[in-house]
Amino acid sequence: MLPTDLLRFRIKDGLALPYRVKPTPTNLKMAELVIATYEGNLGKRRLELKGQLAELEAGRQDWKAVRGMAHLLGNMSTFETGVSLEPGIVRARAFALAQGQPPSRRRTHEILEQLARELPSPQPISAHDVQEALYGDLEDQQHLTVFDPPTPAELCQRLELAYAQGMLYRAVNLIITARRNEPAHYKQILRYLKLFGLMATVEGDASHGFTLTLDGPMSLFQNTTRYGLAMAKFLPALLHVTKWDLSATLKPIKLAWLEEHDSEWSFQLTSEDGYVSHYKPPEEHDSALESGFTERFQKLDTPWQLEREVDLVPVPGSVILPDFRLVHPEGRSALVEIVGYWRPDYLRKKFDLLKKSGRQDVIVCISERLQLDKAGVDPSELGDRAVWFKGVLPPKDVLAVAERIAVEAA
Amino acid sequence: MARPPSLTLSRGTLVMYDAPEAVMPLFTWDARAQCYRARGQAYRTVMETLMAARVPVRDQAADFQKLTLPLARETPPYPHQIRGLNAWKRAGRQGVVVLPTGGGKTFLAQLAMRDTPRSTLICVPTLDLMGQWYSGLLAAFPDANIGLLGGGSRDETPILIATYDSATRYAEELAGRYALLICDEVHHLPSDFYRTIAEMSLAPYRLGLSATPKRSDGREADLDTLIGPIVYSASPDELAGNTLAPYHEEIIKVRLSPNEQAKYDDLIRQRNDFLRQSNINIGSIDGWKDFIRAGSTPQGRAAMLAHNQAKNLAYGTEGKLRVMEELLANHADERAIIFNRDNATVYRISREFLIPCITHETPVKERHATLEKFKAGEYQWLVTANVLDEGVDVPEASVAIVLSGTATERQYIQRLGRILRRSKNKHAVLYEVITEGTSEERVSQRRRGLDGQAFSEPDWENVNAPH
Repeated sequence: MLPTDLLRFRIKDGLALPYRVKPTPTNLKMAELVIATYEGNLGKRRLELKGQLAELEAGRQDWKAVRGMAHLLGNMSTFETGVSLEPGIVRARAFALAQGQPPSRRRTHEILEQLARELPSPQPISAHDVQEALYGDLEDQQHLTVFDPPTPAELCQRLELAYAQGMLYRAVNLIITARRNEPAHYKQILRYLKLFGLMATVEGDASHGFTLTLDGPMSLFQNTTRYGLAMAKFLPALLHVTKWDLSATLKPIKLAWLEEHDSEWSFQLTSEDGYVSHYKPPEEHDSALESGFTERFQKLDTPWQLEREVDLVPVPGSVILPDFRLVHPEGRSALVEIVGYWRPDYLRKKFDLLKKSGRQDVIVCISERLQLDKAGVDPSELGDRAVWFKGVLPPKDVLAVAERIAVEAA
Repeated sequence: MARPPSLTLSRGTLVMYDAPEAVMPLFTWDARAQCYRARGQAYRTVMETLMAARVPVRDQAADFQKLTLPLARETPPYPHQIRGLNAWKRAGRQGVVVLPTGGGKTFLAQLAMRDTPRSTLICVPTLDLMGQWYSGLLAAFPDANIGLLGGGSRDETPILIATYDSATRYAEELAGRYALLICDEVHHLPSDFYRTIAEMSLAPYRLGLSATPKRSDGREADLDTLIGPIVYSASPDELAGNTLAPYHEEIIKVRLSPNEQAKYDDLIRQRNDFLRQSNINIGSIDGWKDFIRAGSTPQGRAAMLAHNQAKNLAYGTEGKLRVMEELLANHADERAIIFNRDNATVYRISREFLIPCITHETPVKERHATLEKFKAGEYQWLVTANVLDEGVDVPEASVAIVLSGTATERQYIQRLGRILRRSKNKHAVLYEVITEGTSEERVSQRRRGLDGQAFSEPDWENVNAPH
């Protein structure tokens, strides 16, 4: 991600529009130059790298993009101290010798000469070497030791995404409208929301789509940008999901170049905007139970369709993400939740949420190996919506319940 | 009988699922999580209200610790420190104490900690101040468990000194642990970002310290709710015969060398040509914005570059280093601190004159060691960028040389404070070395409120822009 001063965007009618970085010949050339500058400075000091980057920027209309690319590459690089004399020791010796007489350049030279003779070193050193070593540990004096170059096209994508992420630094909330979608990767979304400490309010249904409003605990009291950074980090995760629109309310930045002072800005994005995530794509990690069930279901001759993880069931204060949804061509549907091997506290929470949801169309498949009484759970509350199974879960049993309890979609 | 309702802390907010009638107005219904929620800072009011209404509650929010904090040194406090401490205690241990730099804020805070022996979070704006508080608290409470948060440290101790940046970042985690919240240089707190520290914290006791609580955006008023109102305020005059040594101030004007002058003139001409062509007057705020906006064109950017180079020339001129050398020779027996605006020049001075330096890049340990050596007299000179601007304690210097000035009043007062410490027979002197005939002279005048008296020149010549 980028610091605020390297972001590039326009404000039009209250809409924040981050610059795009399309793989045009100009942009690709620029990316190639910046990458080449980094590659050319492998083993050299950051100061030299900075100097060359400054030259690269000079006189360019798009200097800010150059600097943005350089910043992103800097985050992918490793810099290390690379002087043979230990700067801390050189400083301590030099400053100690310098006491007693008022400082002057003439005296400095004498002291450096003396140190060049006295400091232990494998090869002869000059006063100039000593002076260079004095602050050899400063950031600017560090050497670029590791650089794994991205392709120019990748760098353009990263910059473009960083511009979009930067819009969210000032976000007070984020509304995602997820259109009907399968597989929806909602599990992944919920996992990332939790990771970045965001709260989600869910509305909607599986047939039409969902609205997720994201903010944080303090958002209840005031428009706060405290969760903006988390939202910015969340964006690349969202990019792995298809079919959504995003809308964020932003607290405007006071910028010298802005004529008007809006009370708020809006930032909007959809899954079709062509942004590319650099986060690892979510893995399809069904349990053996779930994949076995899917396989056996495919072999059945039935009009029912099986969809994976497409429904978010809002529960006051939480959300359930059932494993499957069964849809009949005539429009009826039911949800399937498989309760396999879990810790007692997890079980209790799961049953509690199912009860709270008030949904009568959730089929709960429970392994007979589970000791529900130990978890303090009473499965009789589920009535005839429970399917008990040993080892494998037979799709026919589930379908039988579905035929009975499925409801017409709203 | 039903169990009393529980009060919990959830990421910087107080949560009750069944809020008693008495405290209902203090909470907001959160439909997202189906609970009653309030900011962490409401903790004290919530608890006091419940107690007054005799409603029992299970407090699962606060995780404060009681400490034993006897002061190790028996330094008698100054009258103004006692008055400040008492005023704060009378105000229910919530509020801001205003003392000029050099007025012993840190000692007052230590007294407040001794009298409020609970787990304490101290927020400071810079790593330098963090180092100073660390040394100070170690000396005051040798047996206490004192840690740091920020600058590479991440301790979890009952007494924790944190930078505002780190305390903000970890505000949720810190919220329930500290009963006493001390904010040094408290005028930093009301910013959009930092205020969360106080909003999320449960701390029933809060002490804000500052030499100048004013902010340019006027948000110091928010301190009333974040920390408490100003409960005590002492001016530098009140303390002059008390802790502050007498001092005098001298301004030394340096001329640019003919070469430097020619280069400066050339740069300013380049910039002004552009301003004239673009019809921009940077003397006004709007004009300055126009200039920045013009920076997106190559010509505008070149002009901005020329402007910055001219400024650097005026600030970092060779002539000032010559004056510095002379002043240090004239005060050969005294300890002196040299202030400079930019890091590059600080390192240049350190390299070329072998004067130890402190910048924001200096590692915390080395910074601490360098300051200790300076205090002990092992180092006679110290050069620094603005990192020492706020309240860092360097009691032994009697000479300060400011090689460049900036226009905000706060920095000026606090820089002065560096050498205003009480010391026997000490007459501190502050030299301000400015370059004649450049923008900087006007910056210095603006600070003194002399703006516009001595100079009249075309508007576009005015470098006295906001930046």
